[in-house]
Amino acid sequence: MRPEATEARTEEPAARPEGAERDGRAAILSTRGLTKDFGRLRAVDGLDMEVCAGDVFGFLGPNGAGKTTVIRLVLGLIHPTSGYAEVAGHRVPGELRAALRHVGGFVDDPTFYPLMSARRNLRLLGSMTGPVSEERIAEVLEIAGLSDRADSRVGGFSHGMKQRLGIAQALLHAPQLVVLDEPTSGLDPRGMKDVRELVRELGRSGVTVFLSSHLLHEVQQVCTRAAIIDRGRVIVQGPVAELRPQGLTVRVVTDDQTRAAETARSLYGPRAVAEDDGALVVQAGDDVPELVRRLVADDLDVRSVVPATEQGLEEYFLELTGRGAAGEEGESGGAPAEAAAEDGPAAEDGPAARSRSRYTPAPEWRTPAAAAPARDESRASSAPEAHGGAGGRRR
Amino acid sequence: MSPAGVCACPPTPPPARDAGDACHGSTRPAMGGAHWGPLRREWVKLLFAWRTYVIWGGLAAIPFLIALALYISDRGPGPGEGPPFLSRVLDNGLYVPVSALASLLLVLLPLVAAVLGSYMIAGEAEIGTLRAILLRPQSRGSLIVSKWIVAVLTLFVGLALVVAAGIAFGALFFGLEPLVTLSGTTVSVAEGIGLIVLTALFALAAMACMISLALLFSTMTNSSLTALIATFVVYIVVQVLVSFSFFDWLEPYVFSSYFGDYINFFRDPIAWRPIGEALLVFGLWSAGLTIVAWLLFRRKDIVS
Repeated sequence: MRPEATEARTEEPAARPEGAERDGRAAILSTRGLTKDFGRLRAVDGLDMEVCAGDVFGFLGPNGAGKTTVIRLVLGLIHPTSGYAEVAGHRVPGELRAALRHVGGFVDDPTFYPLMSARRNLRLLGSMTGPVSEERIAEVLEIAGLSDRADSRVGGFSHGMKQRLGIAQALLHAPQLVVLDEPTSGLDPRGMKDVRELVRELGRSGVTVFLSSHLLHEVQQVCTRAAIIDRGRVIVQGPVAELRPQGLTVRVVTDDQTRAAETARSLYGPRAVAEDDGALVVQAGDDVPELVRRLVADDLDVRSVVPATEQGLEEYFLELTGRGAAGEEGESGGAPAEAAAEDGPAAEDGPAARSRSRYTPAPEWRTPAAAAPARDESRASSAPEAHGGAGGRRR
Repeated sequence: MSPAGVCACPPTPPPARDAGDACHGSTRPAMGGAHWGPLRREWVKLLFAWRTYVIWGGLAAIPFLIALALYISDRGPGPGEGPPFLSRVLDNGLYVPVSALASLLLVLLPLVAAVLGSYMIAGEAEIGTLRAILLRPQSRGSLIVSKWIVAVLTLFVGLALVVAAGIAFGALFFGLEPLVTLSGTTVSVAEGIGLIVLTALFALAAMACMISLALLFSTMTNSSLTALIATFVVYIVVQVLVSFSFFDWLEPYVFSSYFGDYINFFRDPIAWRPIGEALLVFGLWSAGLTIVAWLLFRRKDIVS
C-alpha cells in the first residue's frame, strides 16, 4: 500500500494536503475528503485523489460512478458538501477563479454557440480567460485538425468535430491541466484513435491530462496513472502499468475442451473456468505451467494457450466496482473493495477463493479498504510503514 | 512510463502568471478589457441568435402595422377606445410611436422582456454553454450583471426601432404635426419627439423590472420556457390581484401599477413627481430582483 494514500485519508478537509508534492513532482490536482450530496443521495463520498504534474491520469468508473460529478466539483461547477479540491495550488471552491486560469477542458459533451464559426467560438470562449491571439486560435485549430472548418458554423459539425473543437478550446491558454470528460464518447473508431493520439501527444509535451473514461483499454492505451471510482469513492489509484489483475487469465484450446474444462476446474475451481467462443478461459494466475502439465498429463493435445488480458482486465474492473459476481455478493457487506478483501483467501479456502484473490489490487495500488483501518492508526502515529510494504517506495 | 510509484519527471515549474492578462501567441489583445469584455461577449452572443432579430423585427413592425391599418381603414377608434393617443393618429403621424409604445407596454413589451431575461441563464443551460462559460475564470456576479445589462440594451435597441419606425411611418402615412398635450397646449415636432424618446426610456425602465424578474426565474431552472412561463404567470396573477379593490393596498408596491405613468410626460408642464416615483419603484424592484438572482446563482450547482 502506498503510504501517501493513508496520509491523504488522515488529513482533515480543512488542512493542506501533505501529498502536494511527491516524487519530485507537484500535485497539480488533488482532492481531500471531497463529498457531494444531492438530497439524500451521496454522489461523491470523501474522495481523496492526487494527480501529479505531467501525469496523463485516467479516471475510470462505470456509468453513474460519479466521475462527472467529481469533475464538476473540481472545476467549481457544483459546490461540495464537504472537503475541497486543490488545482495548481489554488483551493476550490475558495480560489476558483485563480484555479481555473490553469485549467482547460470540458465536462460532458463540449458545447458551443451553434450559429458561430469554430474560430469565433474559440475567440469568444478564449477571451473569458484572457486575451488570446488569432495565431493561437489557428494553432489549436490545427492541433485539433479543424483548420479547414475553422470558419464553418459549429451547428453543422459532427459529434467528433465538436469533441475535437472541445479539445482545441481546452488548449487555448496552454493550461497546466487539461480535463477531458469522456472525450471519445460517441466517436467512431477513427475519431477515437485521433483523440487518443492527441491526448498521448499532450502527455508527451508535458501537459497534465485528466481523462475521464469508462473504457479500460482507453485508459491503458493513453494514461500513465489512473484511479478507479465507483459509487463516489476511489477504489484504487496508481500507475496504469499495474492496472491489471495480478494473476494471468489464459485462453486454452485443446482437442477435447470438455475434458480440459474438467481438468482446469479441478485445479482452480468452477468459477475460474469459463467457455468463450470455443476456447476455455481459465483464471490460472501464476500456475499456467502447472495447467499445461496437467492437461498434457491427462493426455490432452494442447493446441494453444494465450493470455486473455482484456478479459482479465474487464473482470478486474467488475470485481473492483462490485459489478461482477463476487462484487455483487459483497455488496451486502459494504464497499466492493472491502467485500473483495473479506472474500479473499483468509475468508475462504480452495481454488475458487484463490481465483478471486488474484483480483485484489496490486500492491502499488491504493485501496480505501486497506487504507481505512490504517487511517485511525496513522492519526495516532502518522507512520507510513503501518500501511504495507509499499511504504519503502516513498522518497 | 515510470516504475510504480516513482515519478521521474522534473518538478513542475510554478504558474507563470495568475492575472491572465498575457496574450497567448502574440501581443494583440482580443475581446477588450476586463470591464467591457463580459458585456461585449454577451452582446456578440445576442447578435448570433435569431431570436434577437425576430424581437427587433417584431417591435419595428408594430408601428408600421398601426399606421397601415389606420391609413387603410381611414377611421380611428373613438376617444377613450384603444390605447392612449390612438384616436389622434389620423390627424398627426407623431402619435404613431406614442400609441405604439402605449399598446406595447401592456403585453408585448413585458413578454419581450421576459423572453430576454428568461433566456439569459436558463437558455445557456439548455444548450450546455453555461458550463462552458463557468469553466472560464469569470465571476458569476459579473456574468449576471453583464447579462442583465445586455438584455436591457437589447430592449433599448428594440424600443429605438419602435420610435424610429413610428416616426418614419407616421410621417409617411399622416405627416408630422406639432403635438397637442393632454393639457391642451401644443409643442413643436422636435419637442414632441423628445417626449416620445422620454416615453421610450420610461418604458425601458419599466421593462427592466420584467427582465430582472425573468432573470431571477432563469437562475432557478434549466429551461428558458419554464422561466418565461413563471415570469408571465407572476405578472398576470399580480395584474389580476390588483384589479380587485380588496388588494388595493398592494398596488403601490407592484411595479406594473406604474407602467401607465408615462402619460405624465404629455402634460404641460410635465408631472415629474409621479414619474420619479415610478422610476424609483422600477429601480428598487430591478435591483432587488437582480440581487436575489445573483445570490441564487452564486451558489447554484450547474448540473445541466
